[in-house]
Amino acid sequence: MASSASAGDSLAGGRGVRSRARPWWRLHFQRRIELSGMAFVAPTLLFFAVFKYGPMLWAIGLSFTSYDMVSTPHFVGLENYGNLVTDPVFRVTLVNTLVYVIGSTVLITVVALALALAINTGVPGARHCMTAMFLSNLMPIIAVCLVWRFLLHPFGLVNQLLSPFGFGRIDWLTNSDTAMPAIIAVTVWRFAPYFMVVFLAGLLAIPDEYYEAADLDGAGPLRRFWHITLPQLSPIIFFVVVVSGLLCARIFLMPFIITGGGPGNATRVLSMLVYETGFSYLKMGRAAAISVVLFAIALAFTLGQMRLFARGEENVR
Amino acid sequence: MRRGRAGSWQRWVGFALLAGLSFLFVLPILWMTTTSFQAGEKMFQLTTEWIPSVWHPENYSNALRHAPFAQYFLNSGIVSLAVMAGNLVFGTLAGYGLAKFRFRGDRLVLVLILSTLMLPLEVTLVPTFLVVHAFDWLNTYQGVVGPLLIDAFGVFLMRQSIISIPADYIEAARIDGAGELRILWRVILPQCKPALAILAIFSFRDSWDQYLWPLTVISVDELRTYPLGLVQFGEDYGNPPTEQMAIAVLATIPVFLLFALLQRSVRQGFGLSGLK
Repeated sequence: MASSASAGDSLAGGRGVRSRARPWWRLHFQRRIELSGMAFVAPTLLFFAVFKYGPMLWAIGLSFTSYDMVSTPHFVGLENYGNLVTDPVFRVTLVNTLVYVIGSTVLITVVALALALAINTGVPGARHCMTAMFLSNLMPIIAVCLVWRFLLHPFGLVNQLLSPFGFGRIDWLTNSDTAMPAIIAVTVWRFAPYFMVVFLAGLLAIPDEYYEAADLDGAGPLRRFWHITLPQLSPIIFFVVVVSGLLCARIFLMPFIITGGGPGNATRVLSMLVYETGFSYLKMGRAAAISVVLFAIALAFTLGQMRLFARGEENVR
Repeated sequence: MRRGRAGSWQRWVGFALLAGLSFLFVLPILWMTTTSFQAGEKMFQLTTEWIPSVWHPENYSNALRHAPFAQYFLNSGIVSLAVMAGNLVFGTLAGYGLAKFRFRGDRLVLVLILSTLMLPLEVTLVPTFLVVHAFDWLNTYQGVVGPLLIDAFGVFLMRQSIISIPADYIEAARIDGAGELRILWRVILPQCKPALAILAIFSFRDSWDQYLWPLTVISVDELRTYPLGLVQFGEDYGNPPTEQMAIAVLATIPVFLLFALLQRSVRQGFGLSGLK
């Protein structure tokens, strides 16, 4: 990159006091800068080697074994995966996870964008409204889960607020049709305000001239949104989809606290299954195999993010 | 702000709509707060009593007496501050290294660090537990803090923030004979306060929120963090939900306080300075 090359040049000039510029010295100087760069990054890489890459490789290895923390692991080949494929609970959980991740991601993106557009209209007090909404993103997630469990109770606030509109008493959390949508709604309530802020930053970065030009052409609000706002925001939309997808794929606490995975297995997700299989039933090999499946889902989202990142880099350079 | 051309009545309708929307987001927080002062038997009445007819602040002292929440909060505080410090220090170091230094394999390092975003604790739970077990860190603070100490989010955030600082500043400091750490402290850090504020608040919140990891490595009561204690408290027979809400309110206060302190920088960091 340009910065290090120019650093060398100006340094050669700046060392005018030592009139004889010695090539080996200069090399040494450059080398020292290079080494300090590596030194800055090294602790983080070492940390990730111990707590991320190592464990992931270990998980893949473990997934081919049977291990209960007591006896030594023994190799069982693909047995863990084979058992998963035929296990109805795993299959339901996998489908639940996909429904949860896709449903939450789509709704978070749509709601966050709508909120950002509303705030960006510049009505009075917009900034305070933004701060108020953002509080849901700061509330401890355990408090969010406990509060919503009460709000979604048959006698809870949600049903109280809906009753004037002719809704009966809905058992949100004990009915297998409504439990997953309810948890998705709580997820959106919690995370949409964060991505609203991300969208808002994107909206503020769109040059005013684009809208002025559109005004001159007599474009209405809908056309302006469709032809200016959406295309300009598209990298951010992509970012929000990928990041919120990654976030939802790992969610454990919401179904764990709000419904406990029930009714039946209607809201059980893969991260819950990993914990239960590994630490309640001590089937570490099988839990590792489920982790690998969860990893595959995360990988799909991350590959998308890498692509986005590569695109963003071109703009930076 | 742009597009403020609409007539004044339209602006007020817009304001009413937006205020209504934000109210939906605040309502559960208000409910939590009012319920924490409510009498236990009022919990599941058919209409919510928004302002308690009789205030019960003793819900707080009772909750703190019924379970060692002071200890739980202390544990959570120690863990969260340590994680926040770790993220600030190592996120800044690595972010600086990646933003302003060229070395062999720097692109690969960036990709490697970003790739850990798909390896959250939920995915690597079993082997991370085995690693911590091998370190003999089960039921210790370092066991809870360890795997949370650095997150790729922080590294990436700091890199993006530092990358826009002109290289001339760094070169000038080098010519003056400043060491690399001194440059980082004196030249770089003062210019990325907004990013540091965002990193501080999110790393604190994320570890303050942690449930699954402490649940996995902590099995003794003295070391439990407050989310574990709060769930256990709800499961133990006879503890009223109003007291559970009281603890939930107490748990919310530190994060809101931190946000209030750093609000200005956070807004700057998000690029929202232009927002009225």
